Amino acid sequence: MRQLKKPTYAQVNDDIVRTLVETGPRYYLALGTALLVSIVLFFLPWYYQLRTGVGLAGMNQPNVWGSYLANFVFWIGLSHSGTLLSAVLHITQSPWRKAIYRSAEAMTLFALIIASLCLFVHLGRSWFLHWALPYPNQMELWPNFRSPLLFDVMAITAYLTGSSVFLYVGAIPDFAAVRDRVCGWRKNLYTLLSLGWRGTDMEWHRLGVAYTFLAVLIIPLAVSVHSVVSWDFAMSIVPGLHHTVFAPYFVVGAIYSGTAGIVTMMFLLRKYFSLESYITTTHFNNLGKLLLLLSLLWAYINMLEIFTGWYSGSSAQIETLNYKLFGYYAPLFWGMVLFCAIIPLALIVKKVRTSLITMLIISVLINIGMYIERLLILTTSLSRKYLPDYWGIYTPTLVEISIFIGSVALFICFFLVFVKIVPSVSMYEVKETLDTPDRRR
Amino acid sequence: MAAELLGLFSHADQALKAAGGLRDTGFQEISLMSPTPLHGVEQVLGRKTSAIKRFTFFGMLTGLLAGFLLAAGTATLYLLPTGGRPIIPIPPYLVISYEVGILFAVLATLFGFLVSARLPALRERHYTPETHIDRFGILVTCSSEQDAERARTIILAAGAEEIRQLEYLGKKSHEQ
Amino acid sequence: MSDSDSIKEKWKKYRNPGYQDKFDYSWGMVIDLDRCTGCEACVTACQAENNLPIVGEEGFRSGREIKWIRIERYWDGEYPDIKLRFIPMLCQHCDNAPCEPVCPVYATYHNQDGLNVQVYNRCIGTRSCAAYCPYDARSFNWFSFTWDKPLDEQLNPDVTVREKGVMEKCTFCIQRIRQAKDTAKDQNRRVRDGEVQPACVQSCPTQALVFGDRNDPDSAVSKLAQNPRGYQVLKELNTNPSIIYLKNL
Repeated sequence: MRQLKKPTYAQVNDDIVRTLVETGPRYYLALGTALLVSIVLFFLPWYYQLRTGVGLAGMNQPNVWGSYLANFVFWIGLSHSGTLLSAVLHITQSPWRKAIYRSAEAMTLFALIIASLCLFVHLGRSWFLHWALPYPNQMELWPNFRSPLLFDVMAITAYLTGSSVFLYVGAIPDFAAVRDRVCGWRKNLYTLLSLGWRGTDMEWHRLGVAYTFLAVLIIPLAVSVHSVVSWDFAMSIVPGLHHTVFAPYFVVGAIYSGTAGIVTMMFLLRKYFSLESYITTTHFNNLGKLLLLLSLLWAYINMLEIFTGWYSGSSAQIETLNYKLFGYYAPLFWGMVLFCAIIPLALIVKKVRTSLITMLIISVLINIGMYIERLLILTTSLSRKYLPDYWGIYTPTLVEISIFIGSVALFICFFLVFVKIVPSVSMYEVKETLDTPDRRR
Repeated sequence: MAAELLGLFSHADQALKAAGGLRDTGFQEISLMSPTPLHGVEQVLGRKTSAIKRFTFFGMLTGLLAGFLLAAGTATLYLLPTGGRPIIPIPPYLVISYEVGILFAVLATLFGFLVSARLPALRERHYTPETHIDRFGILVTCSSEQDAERARTIILAAGAEEIRQLEYLGKKSHEQ
Repeated sequence: MSDSDSIKEKWKKYRNPGYQDKFDYSWGMVIDLDRCTGCEACVTACQAENNLPIVGEEGFRSGREIKWIRIERYWDGEYPDIKLRFIPMLCQHCDNAPCEPVCPVYATYHNQDGLNVQVYNRCIGTRSCAAYCPYDARSFNWFSFTWDKPLDEQLNPDVTVREKGVMEKCTFCIQRIRQAKDTAKDQNRRVRDGEVQPACVQSCPTQALVFGDRNDPDSAVSKLAQNPRGYQVLKELNTNPSIIYLKNL
């Protein structure tokens, strides 16, 4: 499969440092566009909303949660695979992880930041969000730790810290390697970031130990983060949300959409940074297998959720279920089933997994489907609560659509800045997969 | 006068061989510098242990306790009953405890890593940029001229491409 | 040592579900559906008493009306044999309120009178309480509302006006309860039955709504609550509402 000639150690350095320092006009064009789009479609509407009120969104009384919260869950979900996948693959010592994990972890970090921003957008009075943080204050009032929303605050804080530490510790040797190749402000930056790393045997040993421990800590953390997000919904007694299966459902969904996100991102990295010799079809093949497994798991849990709801026989559950399957949002539901459960079955064919363009299409479709899922979880449940007199319908407004597109642009912005600052492929670990220069050979 | 010798190799096995040779001759302060973690260092320079696991463990314990105390303590400072729940309900506070536990464990691991790897480097230390690309370096501290001569022989015999004598930076102020 | 004893006692107290065993007062309501004619006088009275903003035609059409009490209308049976039923629906002041534990900032909690209270100034607008409420009794201020002149002259000075991004709901006219409690305290007695009435109870022409202290066994609510027609809405959810409905037979 790997027909490309393996690069030498020196070539690895050259290739990766090149992605950092050589910046073409296309990059600036992309960054400028993304920045402009994020300002026009994210920050301006948000500012407008801060001035007037959340009423700009399409939410109403039974549907008090809308696409802003769906955005939050979507971005948290996207954040899930990066660091989690990287940690799992590190512990299971899968060598194919090494070329992809850095950018996957960056995806985690930025998706998390966007998710937190989405929380800000969601709030009625965003300027008081700090009240939900535990800090001593003159009101002598602390946040309510009984609230699932506060579990969220704590979990996201821990996850943001954990994944940035994981990303940073893994990148220290690469910062050191880049430090010696650049000049100017970059030199100062990388000198600071590399902390004086020399690559001695002692340092490598400590790095290995610390990195493994971090990986071990990140896995339960990542699982808990999305469980906690699911509890925001499942702790309510709303029919359609109050399911015990919600935590695993969300975790699987998150890993699913996150893995699809990684495939999309790898395709773009490979294409626009000419990293063909590092990101190979092996990676797409392996990720394709993972996606296939996750799609089956996701479909299974979805069926289970519907089945247990139906089997309960409670009138409220049945109504919510009927509404979900055949009501106003039914086209969206069946679209989601098509995108997330049926189309990914094509991944069973190896040709599909190793063809980059089909992988790109499938991964994008999966994420569209997963976004629909997040929206449906909120809308189909909240619009059919217990009292039929108060049923309602929710449709997103232009402001909400623009804020979602803007948040994607903001994510791209972050990512474009990232690839110019942090080596997007781990040099030292890619070198590990190559042959050590030994005299014997 | 103490000095440091830096040998540069283009092959990993040669560097390992030199390190083994130096160790057998009685040199204590030997560092191998490599662009990737070297396999087989343990056989040559002995098995390493580090204190990081203790940092992680105690970080986790502190965090678990701190998380629970944060939740339970702040709830008792200002009694606001909600939803017919007790002021100190166990299950939700265990979730807080869990998250803070992992947060502390991560930070403690980072701290432990920095301490045990002696990073960030506060004093200037020798290294060569080549060891971050494709060369394998060996840095050995010699206490006397004779030692330096012996070390030089061993390193060259192992097939070093280049050897440099460096000013000893480590304890400059104490030596003079 | 007394110190460790007190910690142990405190622990026990704090582990007690509900925390307060006995409320000073336990305000409750009985709604006799047999008497309710669906005239919506209560809705109007509430609007006037509690400075409820007028959301306008468009706000109403998109389901954003701010109502602390509403009359739910249900048709029972098939055409010619049909019956119309009304249920006034307001905050049930549940003892085990689902809305309370979910608020991350304690903007809603249970006070010593057994009321589920909402602290407007503390609210950050997560709207989770409204999502969690099975009775849909909560209303959200999607915008900041203003009162055109001369409507602003009729604002009740005892009730705050809420800003955008804040959740609000029925308070059982807590301003009236406070006033009655203050008067009673000045005269060294408990609040008498019938001394305090929320606006909806006061305005009900058929006296379908009765308000009072459930801790007092002789109060009108306590007696009416014994009625075999009595039931709680969505009792199976274990929220234990403070409002008892009397079935319309």
